[in-house]
Amino acid sequence: MTATTANIELLADAPPAEPPRPRVLLAGTVLASGAAAMMILALMGVYLELRDQVVSAGDTWLPEGANIQLTPGTMGLVTLLMSADTAAWAVWALRRYDRNHALLAIAVTELLGVAFIVGVVYGWQQLGLGIGDSTQALLIYTISGAHVAMVGAGLLFLLVMGFRAVGGQLTGRAAEGVSAAVVYWYVTIAVYAVIWYGIYVAK
Amino acid sequence: MTVTEAPRAASPAVVEPTPQAPTTGVAAVVGSGNPRMVGQLFVGTSLVFLLVAGVVGVLVGFERVDTASNDLFGDDVFRAYALHTVTGLFLVVLPLLLGLATAIVPLQVGASTIAFPRASAAAYWTYVASGALVVASFAVDGGPFGTDVAGVELFLVAMVALLASLVVAAISVGATVLALRAPGLTLRRTPLFSWSMLVAAVIWSLTLPVLAALMLLSWVDLRHGARFLGGEGGIYDRIAWVFWQPTLYAFAIPALGIVGDIVPTFARRRHVKHGAALFLIGLFGALSFGAWAQLGFSLDGSATSADFLFSGPWVVVSFAAVVPVLGLLGLWTTTSRRGSPRVGAPLLVGFLGALLVLAGVAAGAATSIDALDLDGTTWMTGQANLVLIGALTAGLAGVTFWAPKVFGKLLPDPLAGLGGMALFLGALVYALPDLASGALGQQRLVQGGGIPDADVDTAEVLNLVSAIGSIVVVLGVVAFVLALARPRGRAEVADDPWDGHTLEWATSSPPPVGNFATLPGISSEAPVYDARHATTATEAAP
Repeated sequence: MTATTANIELLADAPPAEPPRPRVLLAGTVLASGAAAMMILALMGVYLELRDQVVSAGDTWLPEGANIQLTPGTMGLVTLLMSADTAAWAVWALRRYDRNHALLAIAVTELLGVAFIVGVVYGWQQLGLGIGDSTQALLIYTISGAHVAMVGAGLLFLLVMGFRAVGGQLTGRAAEGVSAAVVYWYVTIAVYAVIWYGIYVAK
Repeated sequence: MTVTEAPRAASPAVVEPTPQAPTTGVAAVVGSGNPRMVGQLFVGTSLVFLLVAGVVGVLVGFERVDTASNDLFGDDVFRAYALHTVTGLFLVVLPLLLGLATAIVPLQVGASTIAFPRASAAAYWTYVASGALVVASFAVDGGPFGTDVAGVELFLVAMVALLASLVVAAISVGATVLALRAPGLTLRRTPLFSWSMLVAAVIWSLTLPVLAALMLLSWVDLRHGARFLGGEGGIYDRIAWVFWQPTLYAFAIPALGIVGDIVPTFARRRHVKHGAALFLIGLFGALSFGAWAQLGFSLDGSATSADFLFSGPWVVVSFAAVVPVLGLLGLWTTTSRRGSPRVGAPLLVGFLGALLVLAGVAAGAATSIDALDLDGTTWMTGQANLVLIGALTAGLAGVTFWAPKVFGKLLPDPLAGLGGMALFLGALVYALPDLASGALGQQRLVQGGGIPDADVDTAEVLNLVSAIGSIVVVLGVVAFVLALARPRGRAEVADDPWDGHTLEWATSSPPPVGNFATLPGISSEAPVYDARHATTATEAAP
């Protein structure tokens, strides 16, 4: 028996290679993120269709007294974009077994997310319209409220994964949980980019 | 390879965990995350709701016979129609298919359980609760066209919860196919039912949230003065698009996968061009994404334009959707012809279901021809009935086929076959008169049900025939319920009574917790078929 044949026989006896760890949470999160995004994008679709009708008729879309400033909306977008960076930092650190940096990154992401929600609530106070005052106000409150709920869900998801990281469950190859939360977070930010353009920029 | 290291002796200090007695009774049902149990619950509950939808459908059918008056329901006829349609789709067809998938897809892909077992169980209980609230809202003068605002709001909130539960159940199934396939089972080798459920999970996850958003918006609008969605009367306009092409077709995607798995098993040969079948199911799914094809909005709720009708993309999709269904039927015919086919209730019922779907899709192509002027007529009602009863029939074929795995017993073949025949003939008698009266110009019920004076008598006869057809459909369903309710008996059901091809037939009937002790090697889309034929070849060798 030659050495090569012996090696082949040894390999034939070896246990099969371990299958790659299933990325169940990531797969589920991608589908759930798509569903959540479609819900808010559908609301934006209604908003933009009605706005198009009004503007095409030569009228002004926002009713008199409405106060929608571009600056706070842009600040919200910048806040979320910064949080996208810190979220990526969390995954990067966990993949390198660097739990301290991961926790710092998750904490900063949470903080930025909360700051965004505070900014939206402040925007509601400054809007100058009640939800029942006009169709425009009703749509703005519904869309931004639904997005705040989406952001809240993302923060909760990231928080739970952060706690699991503290427990040492989600490091190295097993950082999938945080990756999943971050994928959801990115979708949340992308959806806000559409809202920002439709409500704050186009007005 | 020689193992030189002796296994370590167990430490005497370690206390073995005391095995817990398996949970029994109600706790085993309510607290179960076992996908087989959750699947059984989905299927059973959907059949209960089917009786509600069926009975109301029969009554609405007879209400339509006299086009001049509404003797049975009076002013509530629109609400009754809405109850029939909403229940039929969201409480019957979708949950039935999801229940079957919850039980079978993990087995087909060689997984020990579903991707998110607790989420799947939570989805079921949310479905039961929200489904009951949807039906209850109609009972308190709510729902679309209701006059009790609280009842209408109850309907809207319950619908959002119901849609969320269906999406969660679909995501659990989809994630199972994406992430829990056994080693060797590539997406290219995925069984057709599992593949169709993945396609359906993606399309449903992108479509149902759009409807949920509209229900949410309707609720907010209703609470704040009904500014732009037309109040209680406008709600059905926001739901109706799911009963039209192309969205309607999304609910028939799993039907194609079910028949695609049954045909090669009964033909006793591999599926001809499995890859092409995967592509055609995917194409049908892609064409069925139709959230863009719905009624328009206006600032004061005065107009609900339908700009998508007869637009280029809508016409193209309407015709293109026929291609994958025809292609699949061609592949199944070829598979049967090249094999040694035997007849059984699953094959018969599944094939009839696929024919109904084909008839519905073909009717949809005719709808998109502007010159025929079929839009808004009962032609569309008949088309929706063909597609949805086709999906239901194929779903029940799947229940019959996989009953050993889901329920641990074989359904009586004659009774299931009889039920399938009744469903098929009933669907034809139910839907074809609607197509004919639609061609005469009879409007859909929710659009007033008007008919040109010259054709009133003809339309009323057609409506009567259609109502009789609805009774036959209900009788077909009753046959299936009886088949399911028949006691298991003492005889053990075989692990693989059909000589199946895919992994679910490599385990016991019903499967144990964890599904598989060992899996056969997977080198094609039909690993059990491969293993059986390899064994046969070995035994035949001298």
